[in-house]
Amino acid sequence: MNAAQLLNGVALGSLLMVLSSGLAMIYGLRGVANFAHGALYMAGAYIAYSVSDRAGFWLALLVVPLALAVLGVVLELAFFRPLQHRSHIELGLITFGLALMAERLVVLIWGESTLRVNPPEFLQGTTSFVGIEYPSYRLAIIVIAVLLAAALIVWLRSTSIGLHIRAASQDIETAAIMGINVDRVSLVVVAVGAALAGLAGALAAPYIALDPGMGNAFLITVLIVVVVGGIGSIAGAMIAGMGLGIIQTVTTVWSPSLAVVVPYAALTIVLLWRPTGLAGKRVS
Amino acid sequence: MTTTAPTDDVTETMVAVPPAGPGRWKGTLVGLGIALAVLLAGLAVPYVVTDTYRMSLVVDATILSLLAIGIGFLARHLGIISLGHGAFFGAAAYGVGIATTNWGWSPTTAVGFGILVGTGIALVMGLLVVRASGFGFLMLTLALSQALYALSVQTSARPLTGAHDGKLLSYDRDQTFLGLGQADVMNPGLFWPMAWVALTVCATLLWVVGRSRFGTTLEGIRENEERMRFSGYGTFGPRLVAFVLSGAVASVGGALFAINAGYVSPDILGFSKAGDSLIAALIGGFGLLVGPIVGTFLFVYAQANFNFGGNLHLFTGMTLILVLVFMPGGITGTFQKLYHRMRKGRR
Repeated sequence: MNAAQLLNGVALGSLLMVLSSGLAMIYGLRGVANFAHGALYMAGAYIAYSVSDRAGFWLALLVVPLALAVLGVVLELAFFRPLQHRSHIELGLITFGLALMAERLVVLIWGESTLRVNPPEFLQGTTSFVGIEYPSYRLAIIVIAVLLAAALIVWLRSTSIGLHIRAASQDIETAAIMGINVDRVSLVVVAVGAALAGLAGALAAPYIALDPGMGNAFLITVLIVVVVGGIGSIAGAMIAGMGLGIIQTVTTVWSPSLAVVVPYAALTIVLLWRPTGLAGKRVS
Repeated sequence: MTTTAPTDDVTETMVAVPPAGPGRWKGTLVGLGIALAVLLAGLAVPYVVTDTYRMSLVVDATILSLLAIGIGFLARHLGIISLGHGAFFGAAAYGVGIATTNWGWSPTTAVGFGILVGTGIALVMGLLVVRASGFGFLMLTLALSQALYALSVQTSARPLTGAHDGKLLSYDRDQTFLGLGQADVMNPGLFWPMAWVALTVCATLLWVVGRSRFGTTLEGIRENEERMRFSGYGTFGPRLVAFVLSGAVASVGGALFAINAGYVSPDILGFSKAGDSLIAALIGGFGLLVGPIVGTFLFVYAQANFNFGGNLHLFTGMTLILVLVFMPGGITGTFQKLYHRMRKGRR
């Protein structure tokens, strides 16, 4: 193992961190594991492909979160809000249906073939970092993701909407009794969560190849990260995402056939040991 | 917590609680009589459906129904949704493939072995997962079955499972599955009795178990596990038994699938197989035992007829959403509601 492989793990972990923090926010507030989160990530990557084709990659990084936030608003208004009194499993299965549809819609719009996105010119080479030559774009992913995570934490800790989000995640009924507009909080959370998923997709686009199965392939890992991190805990999801990214990459170097089982083994061990996840406190 | 608060329990809207009480034994006998009549009547299907392609669809749907009623049994009696039943179905299928092709066992013994393998995996998985409920259960079953899938496609597993290429079953010309040679088992008309008898027997078994004292215990656990524990019932044992039983039914399906298809590919272990079956069961409805069977037949029919341009998943997703939003009990649940309303109106 060398520094480059460790950095690969950090890059994968960064993507998982951004993606799972959005999923954890929605999970914490609505109690729903959003199976469509992988589809949002995929939509982000494909929209980034179309935008960067016409107007450059930097604009894509701006357009994608906005477009996905709108999609998140639609998701909240069409499904999460009107169906909030249904069982969580039912709502989860509805998002599962949405994910099935999205996989096909992407094929109908962008075709089945694998697509590639080029990173911006100055990030195409390699950079000297801690004594090794490492692809610049992957370093950029790490930097952007860490900045995003920091911004998200500051937003949740020091703004009044952040306070409301934390309160509603703790106990949505009590929060509503205390005068917090839970519907508004939920709208913001789902929009931000979807925007983060889209941004993760856009960031990943030049790093991986785009194909219609990419969302669902990643979804299971992200769901595992959220459950391992602790239900509704954003910090837990971030730590679990980074941890899993690094462990998986390192195990791949060591033994590829063992690496594929790592996320599943991690989930099983954590849930048996602490049923509410690493950072989870609540039982439900 | 108020009663209107959403929970991880699917039972509130998806399952109608069947009546219990006196006259249970009489009802069971009547039910067994009906089951026997249905079994015998069903044997005539190959004489009605003469087209080989249609008949093969009917056989496929019958075998997949075994997987769906396994999932449906857990949802109906314990209110938990499993995404891991593909593992038992697939493990049983691989068990048959390995026993016949690698070890030269006769297909009949191999089917028994396959069912044992699937049930054994259900037991191991059950020990790990039945304590969980709601999303924890869903995620654990998903994760463990995905782990099995990931292991089966490893290059090191190639001699046993054929990895991504799948496994072609081969056995000697003189070896038979209950009297059917390798060419005959692929003939849907000849294979039909096996599939049909397996489905009716398993469905009747699940129905009888559901009506028994044990079934009532399961429903108590579904409604309020804590209260059952306070009342002096162990809840781990019954949950485990129910899980293994439903896994065994799925294994029967998997073993028959392997014999009938003569080929096992890794995607039957995968997430999409269990997902498809769960969707079929949901669309059919969990409230009645036949719900998942109705759903599976519709699913197989739709797969054969509406798969133009590869848009099947677009339609499945749409149907799943429409059913969950507008008819939470599935198709059979909606009919059940209409029936009850009509009876109330008459009184």
